[in-house]
Amino acid sequence: MTVQMIFLAFFGGAAVWFGVVVFRTHSMVRSALALLFSQTAIGAMFLVMQAEFLGVLQIMMMATEMSVMAIFMVMFMMDPGGMGKMDMTHQKRLSLWAGGIGLLAALLLVWLPDWSPVALSVPGAHEQAADLGRELLGRSMFIFQSAGLTILTAMIAATMVAIVPNAEQGK
Amino acid sequence: MIVELLIALSVGAGLFGVGLYGALSQTNLVMIVMGVELILAAALVNLVAFWRYLHPDEPAGQMFVLIVMAVMAVEMAVAFGIAIARFRVRGSVEMEEARELKG
Repeated sequence: MTVQMIFLAFFGGAAVWFGVVVFRTHSMVRSALALLFSQTAIGAMFLVMQAEFLGVLQIMMMATEMSVMAIFMVMFMMDPGGMGKMDMTHQKRLSLWAGGIGLLAALLLVWLPDWSPVALSVPGAHEQAADLGRELLGRSMFIFQSAGLTILTAMIAATMVAIVPNAEQGK
Repeated sequence: MIVELLIALSVGAGLFGVGLYGALSQTNLVMIVMGVELILAAALVNLVAFWRYLHPDEPAGQMFVLIVMAVMAVEMAVAFGIAIARFRVRGSVEMEEARELKG
């Protein structure tokens, strides 16, 4: 058993456990924090898998994203603290079956194929970042620019949907 | 090394199962978004694991991770835009009360 295996299992277990906590707690703020911990554990898994740039990016991005989510939770929920223990679920049995079948199908796909040969080493962090930069500004530039354009479109769309129309403002 | 790959992919499977349960079972829009975020996180874990253990010399694997992260950000921005519009009109983001959105 290697150190990498132990850390991978530890952070992976933490990511799944906090993912479960997201839907088990009644407090919405706790849900957002549990999702933040889950995403941070995933970032730690990336670091264990020697993808340093992606690991740090994941932790930084998700910390911001989940903080925004926690603010929205407090804004929109009738009971953000979960003191009333409101049940906000429906079709629970169907969802459990769907989640269980999805999990089993994914596990079968993971455990049945023969994945060998497995790479033993990865390029160093500097080389990885340089390779990724060359990939983004070379062969995959069109895909990368499309992602940027999509984000811009989503920002404009989200703002347009969220702002109050002039006709309503006058009322 | 094969065990590490299997651990990482199994974690991805676990996150997918939990996310699917959450996205289907929750009635609140923000909670549904959390479920979808977990499903996308499962995709991220799988992509990094495939890059690390199968094709470490291929930076396109890391590039796909950035694309999925962009998708996560876009999904959240649009969902919150809809949530604000919905909250303004109805005073709630409960999806049980949004049956008129069904086509």
